[in-house]
Amino acid sequence: MRFVATIHVRPKAEVRDPQGEAILGALGSLGLGVVAVRTGKEIVVTFEADDDAAARTAADVMGRELLANPVIEDFRVELATA
Amino acid sequence: MVRVAILRFPGTWSERDFEHALSLVGADTEILWHTEVDLSGFDAAIVPGGFSYGDHVRAGAIARLSPATTELKRFAADGGPVLGSCNGFQILCEAGLLPGALIRNSGLEYISDWVRIRCEDAGTPFTEGLKDAVLRMPIGHGEGCFVADPATLERIEKEGLVLFRYVDGRGIVTGDANPNGSVNNIAGLRNEAGNVVGLMPHPERCAEPILGGTDGLRMLESLVRAVGTMPALVR
Repeated sequence: MRFVATIHVRPKAEVRDPQGEAILGALGSLGLGVVAVRTGKEIVVTFEADDDAAARTAADVMGRELLANPVIEDFRVELATA
Repeated sequence: MVRVAILRFPGTWSERDFEHALSLVGADTEILWHTEVDLSGFDAAIVPGGFSYGDHVRAGAIARLSPATTELKRFAADGGPVLGSCNGFQILCEAGLLPGALIRNSGLEYISDWVRIRCEDAGTPFTEGLKDAVLRMPIGHGEGCFVADPATLERIEKEGLVLFRYVDGRGIVTGDANPNGSVNNIAGLRNEAGNVVGLMPHPERCAEPILGGTDGLRMLESLVRAVGTMPALVR
C-alpha cells in the first residue's frame, strides 16, 4: 500500500526559536496583538508499507532518525493512504 | 609520523585547509571521501567545516546517516582522537558523539568574524598545555548557537565537558563576547572520555601569521604531541 506521512517538526518549548522571534517582531509592527510565535516545518513523505501499523512505525523512524533531532525538536505524524 | 584522516562529505569545504595546517606540524594526512572511510591505521580523525549536504534538514543531520559516521563512531569508541570544527562539530552533535545541538544564531545572520575562546580543560589530545589559554580564532557559521535541555546542560557543566567558552579580550565570559547566543557562552565541548572534541571556530584557518593568527596551530601541535605519547590504539 502507498501512504503519505505529513511529519510536523517543531523546536521544543524550552528551545529558543530565533526565526519565531524575528517573525514576532515583524508581526508586532502590524499591531494585531501578537504575543508569541513559534515556527516549524512540515515534511511530506510518500512511501510503501504493508499496512497502517507498518506505515506508522516507518514514519516514526523517519522522524526519529533524520527529520527531527530529539535533543531540540518534537515531531508529530499525520498518516493517510495515498 | 602521525597519520590523520580528514573526512570529506558532499559540501565539506575546509578539508584542504586542515591538510595544509596539519602539514605545518609534520602530520601525514589523507582526505577520505565519506563513502570510502576506513580509519584503520590512522592516529586521529578530523571532521572539517563546510555545508555537508547543503545543511538540509538541519546542519549535520544528513551526514549522520553516512557510512563515514558509523566508522567514526567505532574509531571514537576505541579511543581514537576525533576533532570536529564548525560543520564538523554540528555533525558530531547530530551523531550523538557530543551532547546538545547547534541551532540558528540568535541574531539570525551568518557570522564571519574573529572571536576569543578560553580553554577550560587540558585533558584532551587537542588541548594539552592549553588550560586557561585564551585563543583567537575565526568563525564562519549561521547555526552556531549551542543549546541543550536543562538536565543535559547541568550534566555538561558538572562533568566539565565544556572545553571552550567565548570570552572577551581579558578572558572573561561576557554577553558581548558571545557571537551567536550559545548557552553559557559554550563554543566547544569534549566527550566524557576526552577523545572527541568539537568547536565552532576554525583552528585550521589560524595556523600561519599570514592568516592573522597562529592559535589554531596550538591545538594541532597538541594532537601531534598527544599521539606520540599515547599507547597504540587497538583497532
